[in-house]
Amino acid sequence: MNTSTPYLQIEHLRKSFGSFTALDDISLDIQEGEFVCFLGPSGCGKTTLLRAIAGLEQQEEGAIVQAGQDVSVLPPQQRDFGIVFQSYALFPNLTVNDNIAYGLANMKIPRRERQQRVQGLLDQIHLPDIGDKFPGQLSGGQQQRVALARALATEPGLLLLDEPLSALDARVRLHLRNEICALQRKLGITTIMVTHDQDEALTMADRIVVMDHGRIAQIGTPEEIYQQPATEFVARFVGSMNLLPARVLDHRNLMLGRKEVQTPLILPVCAEGTLGFRPECVQLQDGPWGLDRDEHLVLQAQLDQVYFMGAFARLEMTLDAELPLVQVDLPVEQMQNLEAGVGQSLWLSIPKAALKFYPQAQQGGERYQPHAQPAEMSMGVAAMQVAGA
Amino acid sequence: MSATLTFARKRGLDTETWLQRLIVAAGVLFLLIALLMPLTTMLVKSLQNTAGEFIGLSNFVAYFSNAALTQSILNSLNIAIWTTVIVVSTAFVFAYALTRSGMVGKKGFRILTMLPLFAPSLLPALSMIYLFGNQGILKDWLPVDSIYGPVGIVMGLSFWAFPHALMILITAFSNSDARLYEAAKSMKTPPWRVFLTVTLPSVRYGLINTIFVIFTLTITDFGVAKVIGGQYNVLATDIYKQVVGQQNFQMGAVVSVILLLPALVSFIVERRVQRHQSAQLSSRAVPLQPQKSPLRDALLALFCTLVCGFLLLVVGMAVYASFITFWPYNMELSLNNYRFDMMDGGGWASYFNSLQMSAWTAVIGTAVIFLVAYMSEKIKPMPTARKLLQLLAMLPMAVPGIVLGLAYIFFFNHPQNPFNAIYGTMAILVLNTLVHFYTVCHLTAVTSLKQIDGEFEAVSASLKVPFYTTLRRVTLPLALPSVLDISVYLFVNAMTTVSAVVFLYSADTTLASVAVLHMDEAGDIAPAAAMAVLLMLTSLAAKTLHWLISHQILQRTQRWRQC
Ligand SMILES: Nc1ncnc2c1ncn2[C@@H]1O[C@H](COP(=O)(O)OP(=O)(O)O)[C@@H](O)[C@H]1O
Ligand SMILES: [Mg+2]
Repeated sequence: MNTSTPYLQIEHLRKSFGSFTALDDISLDIQEGEFVCFLGPSGCGKTTLLRAIAGLEQQEEGAIVQAGQDVSVLPPQQRDFGIVFQSYALFPNLTVNDNIAYGLANMKIPRRERQQRVQGLLDQIHLPDIGDKFPGQLSGGQQQRVALARALATEPGLLLLDEPLSALDARVRLHLRNEICALQRKLGITTIMVTHDQDEALTMADRIVVMDHGRIAQIGTPEEIYQQPATEFVARFVGSMNLLPARVLDHRNLMLGRKEVQTPLILPVCAEGTLGFRPECVQLQDGPWGLDRDEHLVLQAQLDQVYFMGAFARLEMTLDAELPLVQVDLPVEQMQNLEAGVGQSLWLSIPKAALKFYPQAQQGGERYQPHAQPAEMSMGVAAMQVAGA
Repeated sequence: MSATLTFARKRGLDTETWLQRLIVAAGVLFLLIALLMPLTTMLVKSLQNTAGEFIGLSNFVAYFSNAALTQSILNSLNIAIWTTVIVVSTAFVFAYALTRSGMVGKKGFRILTMLPLFAPSLLPALSMIYLFGNQGILKDWLPVDSIYGPVGIVMGLSFWAFPHALMILITAFSNSDARLYEAAKSMKTPPWRVFLTVTLPSVRYGLINTIFVIFTLTITDFGVAKVIGGQYNVLATDIYKQVVGQQNFQMGAVVSVILLLPALVSFIVERRVQRHQSAQLSSRAVPLQPQKSPLRDALLALFCTLVCGFLLLVVGMAVYASFITFWPYNMELSLNNYRFDMMDGGGWASYFNSLQMSAWTAVIGTAVIFLVAYMSEKIKPMPTARKLLQLLAMLPMAVPGIVLGLAYIFFFNHPQNPFNAIYGTMAILVLNTLVHFYTVCHLTAVTSLKQIDGEFEAVSASLKVPFYTTLRRVTLPLALPSVLDISVYLFVNAMTTVSAVVFLYSADTTLASVAVLHMDEAGDIAPAAAMAVLLMLTSLAAKTLHWLISHQILQRTQRWRQC
């Protein structure tokens, strides 16, 4: 892989629909052979960015350079990509063979070779015998793979996938995740996939581009995104996190609700912010003794509820009546040793490396109200853990 | 870097995009020339005197100070209101019976109600003469002195407008949600309250829509009023009399402008209502399964039998009368009335002209309308032009045929118009008919195009396949049923229309429907009926052919539709 010249360069892209800004100063480099996911909530501009790369939407500002060629104003016909849409957009009146060969028809390839190429693709998607069927006779997962084969048939340099798995049921989705990844690695084709599903992005991508309101919130490997979320938005969107509103007292001390705590972090100069840590990073302690406060944040909280989640147990604890509940995930065997009843006070410690502090943005700070979505959050944690990411 | 950029800019507009722009521009130009400019010319004419000088609203002042002329406005309103009340209420019950009752023989009833769609509007008027005229077989049943007048017009129009109302109302009633009825039942709601609180609200928009459609159809009708109106003048016949009888084109333009107003108003209301209707039904609605209820079903069946009986009576009377040698003196059956070459109106030649005109309209019209609809729905470039295209495509619905015909005289007969050459040819008849029936066809095409995945064009662009290949290989086959619908609709309407073409035919291009009018004017009522029957049979044959194609051939060649 040549890291010096990226395969795809996106520079200061801007796109608006009327007065609404869908893409705001997007800059991004993608290496050859890389699998990149655009991740973000619905409506954040992922599809728009993908379509701009394909030439299906025309940006107002910025440039797109693909394989050294400036393609910014080229129509889609003159760019080099294959695309799979959420709806698959298979032609219902053509057989699977004809669908896959659709782009080969005008490439002046001899008929025999064309048939061989189609059969080869059918073998690659592990559906060798469906060539004579119509799309209406296939299951959703099969249709999805045929759409993938059609996009790959012309051997494009770039594969674009717009939520390719979202219309499938959960089991098929997990299976196809692996299949797409395996195919992509085998072909080594540069791939961009749009998804709003964090598990999908974390398990499939080499790098993830997290998007928020038409801007890039963070670019990084799945580990970086999960372990070092750059903003409160990313922390909230990827995995789950306890996010506690905090008032900064000085560079080491915070007010959490009505409690003053000492943090191992060096806090930036600001008035307020949010303290974050993942539920699985919390350790239970017998007491506050013997813990190095330069390495750990130590808190005392009251046990509220215990939920059995299968592989682990979820504890919900009250730190302070003014704060959202703190969630703590414990392996089940550790839970069995714990002889704590509801209502009992417990000591928690969080290692310094697991702690994040996000200073409150001056404007638009109320966009992410700390209390906004506790219910969805706890669901997210469960999904995250089950997926084993 | 900047060199590659300019290079890219130059290649940015490729041949495909140019082709798309060209077609969109051609579409806009077509509708401007064939629709908007004639109408504008007519508006201008209404503000000019015979010498072509601008005289402001003087023509309108003259019109409104003539009591004989303004009486027609009231007459037209009277006719339209009565017909709308009768047709909408009958069609409402009929549609309810077809969709919500357990009545038997629904399919048969449904087919019979389509019959009027294939008859020229002159046919019911001629039937009325045989049924209730001075020598009519049911003359004594008539509560008024003479069938020539409002009663005849309303009866003839009711026959003709009924299937239009029924179609919209059946659609409205079909959008039912069984869950609401189950909820009402579980709360022990009495049937009349269920009807008022569930059924009626769910068809509310369809009902309003029907009222406006029927009102527009009837206030602008020309044929029925012309044949059976007698001394009772309405706006559409006034235009004809001003232009053909008195050669007073300016006054014709004034009446046309006045006739455009109610049509435009109800057109706008109807478009508004349409928007509501589509958003009404949630996608999770469960369709209602009609329940049996012996007494109600029997009453509804009786009602439907009576209505269909009336429709059959009207059609049957015309057919029967067309075979009578000399009503009422020689009641023997013969084909004498079908020897059109002995009569006014152009004889058999006019029938073949009509066939030719309808075939051209169906072929050219389907191609043009579908292509324009495709461009306005599926193509990216020139968003403003495409918006304009959609707007212009809706306009013909609001323009009464007779107004469009007159507008064509003003525009195409102008010596300085470069298109002047088509005046008096078959081409202007085809053009005029195509534009007259444009909107319904456009909506049919747009509806079926909207059901086709919007990403096909993007997919084929990514596969480097030009859009016209995808149009030919995918979009057209998918939309084929609606393409066939459009062509048969155009054929049937071109066969039966009179109002627009009555100003535009020439000695070489007489049309059968106009011949009916002229034979009736000359007092040859039986041959007129014979020609009307012939037109109806031709339309039915076209429809049968359409049915065969869409049910037999499509099912065999489009195997993928079954999966
Ligand atoms: N053609 C369009 N016209 C107007 N607004 C659009 C159009 N396409 C997308 N948008 C808006 O742009 C925003 C981003 O859309 P999209 O890229 O589809 O989001 P995502 O794929 O992340 O869910 C949305 O708010 C959407 O409403
Ligand atoms: Mg999207």
